[in-house]
Amino acid sequence: MDIKWRNWLKKGWRAAALAPVLLLGGCAHNPFWIFDPKGLMAKTNLFYLIVDVVIMGAIVGLTALLVVWFMWRYQKGKNRGKYDPHWSHSNTIEVFVWGIPIIAVGFLSYFAVKGTFEINPYNPTVITHHMKPNGDPVEVDVIATDWQWLFVYPQYHMAVANELVLPVHTPVFFRLTSSAVTTTFFIPQLVGMIDVMPGMRTKNALLSNHAGEYQGIASDFAGAGTSWMTFETRMVDKADFSQWVQKVQQAPGSMTYASFNRFAEPYINVNHHVVYFSSVEPGLFDHVMTEVMRGKTWPLPPMMTENMVDYLKKQAAEHRD
Amino acid sequence: MLVDLPGGWSPLLGRLAWSQIPYANPILAPLFVAVVIGAIIILGLITYYGKWTYLWKEWLTTVDHKKLGVMYIIIGLVMLFRGFIDGLMIRTQQVWAVGPHSSGVFGSLHGYLTPFHFGQVYSAHGLIMILLAATPLLVGFMNIIVPIQVGARDMAYPYLNALGLWITAAAAALIMISLFVGDFAHNGWFEYAPIFEMQYSPGVGVDYWMWTLQLLALGTTLGGINILATIIKMRAPGMTWGKLPIFVWASLASNVIALTSFPALQVALALVAADRYLGAHFFTAGMGGNLMLYTNLFWIWGHPEVYFVILPAFGMMSEIFPTFSEKPLFGYMTMVLASMAIAGVSWLVWLHHFFTMGAGPYVNTAFSVATMLVGIPTGVKVFNWAFTMYRGRLTFNAAMLWAIGALFLLLVGGLTGMMLAIPAINYMVHNSVFVVAHFHSMLLVIVYAVFGSVLYWFPKVFGFKLDEFWAKTMFWLFSAGTVLVFVPMYMLGFMGMTRRLEYVFNTAWQPYLDVMELGIVVYTLSVLAFIVLLYVSVRDHAKNRVGADAWGTSRSLEWLTHSPVPFYNFAVLPHVNERDELAWRREHGIDHVRPEHYDDIHMPNNTGVAIIIGALTFVLGFALTWRIWWLCIVALLAIIVLMIIRSFRGDPGYIITGAELQRMEEEAYRREAQIADSHHIHPVSGGVVGNAMAYQRNDSSK
Ligand code: HEM
Ligand SMILES: [Cu+2]
Ligand SMILES: [Cu+2]
Repeated sequence: MDIKWRNWLKKGWRAAALAPVLLLGGCAHNPFWIFDPKGLMAKTNLFYLIVDVVIMGAIVGLTALLVVWFMWRYQKGKNRGKYDPHWSHSNTIEVFVWGIPIIAVGFLSYFAVKGTFEINPYNPTVITHHMKPNGDPVEVDVIATDWQWLFVYPQYHMAVANELVLPVHTPVFFRLTSSAVTTTFFIPQLVGMIDVMPGMRTKNALLSNHAGEYQGIASDFAGAGTSWMTFETRMVDKADFSQWVQKVQQAPGSMTYASFNRFAEPYINVNHHVVYFSSVEPGLFDHVMTEVMRGKTWPLPPMMTENMVDYLKKQAAEHRD
Repeated sequence: MLVDLPGGWSPLLGRLAWSQIPYANPILAPLFVAVVIGAIIILGLITYYGKWTYLWKEWLTTVDHKKLGVMYIIIGLVMLFRGFIDGLMIRTQQVWAVGPHSSGVFGSLHGYLTPFHFGQVYSAHGLIMILLAATPLLVGFMNIIVPIQVGARDMAYPYLNALGLWITAAAAALIMISLFVGDFAHNGWFEYAPIFEMQYSPGVGVDYWMWTLQLLALGTTLGGINILATIIKMRAPGMTWGKLPIFVWASLASNVIALTSFPALQVALALVAADRYLGAHFFTAGMGGNLMLYTNLFWIWGHPEVYFVILPAFGMMSEIFPTFSEKPLFGYMTMVLASMAIAGVSWLVWLHHFFTMGAGPYVNTAFSVATMLVGIPTGVKVFNWAFTMYRGRLTFNAAMLWAIGALFLLLVGGLTGMMLAIPAINYMVHNSVFVVAHFHSMLLVIVYAVFGSVLYWFPKVFGFKLDEFWAKTMFWLFSAGTVLVFVPMYMLGFMGMTRRLEYVFNTAWQPYLDVMELGIVVYTLSVLAFIVLLYVSVRDHAKNRVGADAWGTSRSLEWLTHSPVPFYNFAVLPHVNERDELAWRREHGIDHVRPEHYDDIHMPNNTGVAIIIGALTFVLGFALTWRIWWLCIVALLAIIVLMIIRSFRGDPGYIITGAELQRMEEEAYRREAQIADSHHIHPVSGGVVGNAMAYQRNDSSK
């Protein structure tokens, strides 16, 4: 009986100790996207997260234990520890009190600097330092509107709205701008956030070796349609990618300056419409950026989603659904 | 008009029109009816009991720092409740609107709030909680406690103090009226460029937000000046800087931050006003505007602001721990240094709120390291509280429990703050509910410290203790709510859930949202426990009366005078001999002495000007929001004229004679003598006991 009980305890401990590992292990349906990176950028983020939590967690955890121990030991009336009504200073303790945080912060600073350069969105050395000369990076120009994503593939003269398809084992470089307000481009399992701002250009990059489907999110509030401004990101084999490119290049739609003007009007993408454009007017990205810098806007009607259902009806009636 | 106004404008009513009253809204219309009925009942009761004169004379026109502080705290608690209801609405929307198959009512596709309404709710929640709940609660405590702790009779500028309160009240009224007239901002509590520009936010919501914030900035700045002047100039004889109570130090550091950072916000808001009212292009995307400038300006204020609110909370904890550990605060000097260090570094870290904006790695690392530096003094404080308990004699009453809860939350918030401070981690969790969980851990430190302080200082202000049983019940319910809401929120952050989602697109998040909703229910129970706590305590107040030193182990000067504190605080100003003056007197057996002789004292008069200016400020804010220009001019002129008149008349104050003072003091001593554990009080001649001075030596100078 006793032995059995002890065995159970042992098993329990082992399971408890393994739990965090399982969490990080990335089983098929791990809901913790941040702990389950599928791209080099996101993996690097996770590494620094673990370093930080180990160092800070140790200090915070020990401090918490210390406090609990003091609470237990010095409770009034229990007479467990000595009461010293005047004790309020000790140089030794003072040295530790300042020393421990200073050392920890110094240590973390080293990692902070290193990490910031490694995944610097403009030149992520984790990707660029290991790029094969014949790596053939894919370039994507991202234009955020109210509230859709337009992904232009300048190398293939085509564009896709609200879906991002990319080849594995290939560095991808993004240029990003917005036609309306500021939002943020985020694919939790592949690459961290970067702001997308009107009249400006930011950059980011990713590299993934895992085919699969990953959620893309507009992570900064951009107005009424933000919650639906999501996009599926599909990482596919190189062969599948070529096939997909061919498919898009045969699509009927095309994206010109004029059609972009219409595309950029406020549109809440509740049905997750994906649109392919077989051709794109060259320089669309720079054109949009320049226009916005000159003062072009696509204004919203007042109180547009005070009644969302009504608005969607109106949108369906006059729009491109 | 310099800008295009959708929806029309008339000279008489500005943008105001019947269509701006949401009488068809299924949530607001019933609420409005309830508010009107409630108001009629309250006003009726006041009239029925004939309390108008009392209210006007004793409260609305008062310049007594304690009463003003109490009113600040009442505003803070009311707004805390309003903000809590907003929080409940946010959680309910998110637990409901999960996945494409979730139902929708009231014109929304999913859940019961459309994006337009949901945005208003969380924007109001954030602004209210930080600036209209946390800030007034802390300013209220500073108002009550700082003058007594430094041994003064009132603030340096009593009239300015009243003005600060009524301007804050005007801001609270402005944000409340946005519920029923027009709409509030819906882009978050800090708004952003260019989404707050006319093209993307054509309604009056952003204007309400802007003027509310502008008024709050004004009120807080006035309060800050006053508290600083009080600390610097009004200290009792003998109170050198090294003997300043730690809460006063915290208030000093905090208000230095306020005074230097709020102007940045006011400038930023003025520029926003220029964009929205004059058609300027400070923060637009095009025409040479720079939208990133707004983000910088906002957080140059925004980050110091979070330390402006946390430092007084740290000060409160530093008062509660020693009292219930029955020994002095560990490392007083380090504590002071740490507060000042936090205040200093807090100006150098603002960029950590937008690492993802894409500044180069040199800029990001500089701000990352600066941010982590804040962790050092913060860590020192935690260690010092721990060593305050070490070798102590700990009583775990409710006030102490709240303080300990605050300490643990600070550990959690500090850990997560240090994670967010590293760009390589921040890129993954910025704008996610992980950040929301981080700053709620930190803001809850304030809430815990404030509830601890309510329990701790309540007997000082009102003369009786709050009920321990219900205070503890409330603590445990509240803490259960905290765990149930914020543990799942941290987990959702690691799942990649971003903040401000009106519709939750990932059904895998549902169970966690369910748990959080349960947490909100538990929080609601704790609110009920708080109401019961107040009721029970007031009912039993005769049983729970206390003497001057309510806890028997208190240490600082405020516990030397009567409870409740008389309006003149100290009949004769005490002479301060030591850092923990009361503890020192208790040790030397002179804590129960009283002056032998009373002199005349000079006190400020009440004034109705402050509340009238407050009301006019509200009118001004409302008129600006709705662009009713004639009303703006009238209100502004009236304010200026009142100020001029007041400054010419000044306040001669009035005299309380020594005899009158003696009568009031004797009555207070008699009352205290009836309390069971009170001591015999003996007068000292010449203010001197042994070789220590107990009181200012005023009689010998005669
Ligand atoms: C150890 C000290 C702290 C560190 C290192 C720290 C770090 C940070 C960082 C890096 C962010 C930005 C997160 C992001 O948006 O990506 C942040 C946000 C925030 N922190 Fe802290 N923090 C600390 C203490 C505090 C304190 C004491 C408070 C105040 C009570 C506080 C309140 C906030 C708030 C309100 C926000 C977010 C505002 C918003 O985006 O709406 N933090 N903190
Ligand atoms: Cu909140
Ligand atoms: Cu900050």
